[in-house]
Amino acid sequence: MGTLAAQPAPAAGADAPERTRRPPGRRGPSDRWRTGPRDETGRRPPAWRTALRYLVLLAVLALMAGPFLWQLSTSLKGPGEDLYSYPPKLLPADATLDNYAGVARIIPVWDYALNSLTVAVAAVVTNLVGASLAGYALARLRFRGRGAAVAVFVMAMLVPLESIIIAQFTMMRALHLNNTLIGVVLPGAVGAMNVLLMRNAFSNLPYEVEEAAFVDGANVWQRFVRIALPSVKGTLPVVAIFAFMAAWDDFLWPLIVLSDPDNFTLTVGLNYLHGTFADDQRLVAAGTIIAVLPLLVMFACLQRYFFRGVGEGAVKG
Amino acid sequence: MRKFRIATALALAGVLALTGCTVGTQDVDTTSAEGEVRGTLTFQTWNLRATYRDYFEGLIADFEKKYPGTHVKWVDQPAEGYADKISADAAGGTLPDVVNVSPDLVAPLAKARLALDLDSAAPRYRDEYLPSAWRSSRIPGMKGTYAFPWYLNTGPLFYNKRLFRQAGLDPEDPPRTYGELFDDALRMARRSKGRVATLASVPTIEDFGRYGVRLMNRSGTAFTFDEPKGVELLERYKKLYEAGALDAQAFTSTPEQAGRKFMQQSVAMNPGSALDLDKFKKEAPRLYENIGITDAPDNTGRPNMYVQGLMVNAAGRNKATAVAFAHFVTNARNQMAFAHQTTVFPSTRGALETEYFTKQDGTDRTRVRVATAASLEKAVNYTPVLMSDDMKTALQNAVTRAVRGDEPPGKALGSAAKECNRLLEMG
Repeated sequence: MGTLAAQPAPAAGADAPERTRRPPGRRGPSDRWRTGPRDETGRRPPAWRTALRYLVLLAVLALMAGPFLWQLSTSLKGPGEDLYSYPPKLLPADATLDNYAGVARIIPVWDYALNSLTVAVAAVVTNLVGASLAGYALARLRFRGRGAAVAVFVMAMLVPLESIIIAQFTMMRALHLNNTLIGVVLPGAVGAMNVLLMRNAFSNLPYEVEEAAFVDGANVWQRFVRIALPSVKGTLPVVAIFAFMAAWDDFLWPLIVLSDPDNFTLTVGLNYLHGTFADDQRLVAAGTIIAVLPLLVMFACLQRYFFRGVGEGAVKG
Repeated sequence: MRKFRIATALALAGVLALTGCTVGTQDVDTTSAEGEVRGTLTFQTWNLRATYRDYFEGLIADFEKKYPGTHVKWVDQPAEGYADKISADAAGGTLPDVVNVSPDLVAPLAKARLALDLDSAAPRYRDEYLPSAWRSSRIPGMKGTYAFPWYLNTGPLFYNKRLFRQAGLDPEDPPRTYGELFDDALRMARRSKGRVATLASVPTIEDFGRYGVRLMNRSGTAFTFDEPKGVELLERYKKLYEAGALDAQAFTSTPEQAGRKFMQQSVAMNPGSALDLDKFKKEAPRLYENIGITDAPDNTGRPNMYVQGLMVNAAGRNKATAVAFAHFVTNARNQMAFAHQTTVFPSTRGALETEYFTKQDGTDRTRVRVATAASLEKAVNYTPVLMSDDMKTALQNAVTRAVRGDEPPGKALGSAAKECNRLLEMG
């Protein structure tokens, strides 16, 4: 691995202007929160502009959160309420939790949720481990065909799942993994998108840091675990959230690969609520809320990492 | 060392691809099902477990009691993605022994020699079923019947009496033919100044059938829905759209969305089933007070029906047991019991003449049930068995272009028929 030491200087040179390019007047996000709304010059804008800004923000909030609130409201409405009245009523007149119990009565929703959770957690672990290893290799190790390997990952993202799903299924069948949760996890175990994310995160880490570690006698594993990984703490939660969401929301692949209803994941199982002959909108809405809840909790827990800089804690001074 | 590893990976991928390809293409006997009725089999239904679990568990227990030594494993698939699931299972060689299919799902399986031909393997059961139902799983261009007919379904057309009254139409005399429907719809649009549409969806292949359009040639080798009668139907719909009698979102709306518009009382007519009445009562009480029930209009005197069937996997290991079970599920007694569970109709001979389907008892459900059963006597399955989802999409796109006025109806339909024929040839 002598190649790393011979890493040319341009990397350091490229990083220096990066740090000085930041405009002097710009504050970090934390400063802005503490001092209230200000414009670029630091003055408080007139009240009407603040009002307008909040109005636009509220409109966007209504647009983004509205459908979700509507589902929440529908799931709480009791029998006998007109769901389709005009104008629509957001507050249920006769609020009840019966619909949630109804979902659990029709389908073993907790078993399905457990299956989904198993799949999603497994996908998070495999994606974190696999994508960071692969990303580090693509960003930092020198080997023949590295550019080609990156191109393969980019191309893998262009292939739509639907076009290869039957081939994927026959492969799982040949491995005797059809109708198992492992079969559900395996094709998405290391997502191409996540590998590229990790690769970019590792490339942002200045070479000098690793060179310093190399001089101190760290081998490639030590540099990966002690230096590189801690410096991409901002990207790991992003990968975790992407992996969790992809595994939790996937419908078509689990449907194809699983045959036994006992093994179904939540998205597949909740589809049973769309009755063959009639839909109960309240139950469908309650099922949707159950399915979305873990994602909300996950996002709420990890959201502060979302906005954290990728290269933080790199080179001091 | 590195090269060796790449070679291994490639070889492994090749082996997997090969083993993947061989599954499902073995030559199977699709004409006989000899053997003893015992052993295990898998039975797959389509979205019935959530609501009818007790019924099916009882049914399976009865079968296992009647034929000791048998064991039935029941799996149920959710509503969405069923065609994808079946084609993946067919390719992977994991198709269950008895599969719940509709006629358009059985056609590709029969062509792939995965469906058992019941005319050869089990002709003795043919006379137990309604002839039109038995025929529904015949495939033009192939010999044989590839599924036991199971439950039938057809829906009445609901209409909003209040909106009819407002437009000056007689709420007790809904339209019965397409001509009357179009006249009423135009009047409704004029009186409400385009605010109330009568229809919420564009015509589908069933509408072409009910309108009296010939959909396919006799040998099943080409689609003919672009004949002058089909073009005429689209021209009428185009006029409706221009007058505001067809809902503006009709091109993209799903049946659920159309149903919602009907419940919001912005659309005057919508197809549905007997279960919808309960739903109106629960979810749109004000509409329920004004609900009217009629048959879907047709120019042929024959309403449309949908058929569900049970296909026996010809590549299965236990075909004799599978045939016995598929017949057991679809026999007169068990179909009648299922019809009591929900509003479906048995496909066995004579079942529709029983008291349950002919006698009123004053409830809404019975009212719709009796009306529907009466119309089923003459009903046919208009949807051509060979029409796949892709072909339906091609037709829908052409209909959209024509009704919106982007393309003359004749030209749009002609290109759709051509596209469907191309897809048909590709198999």
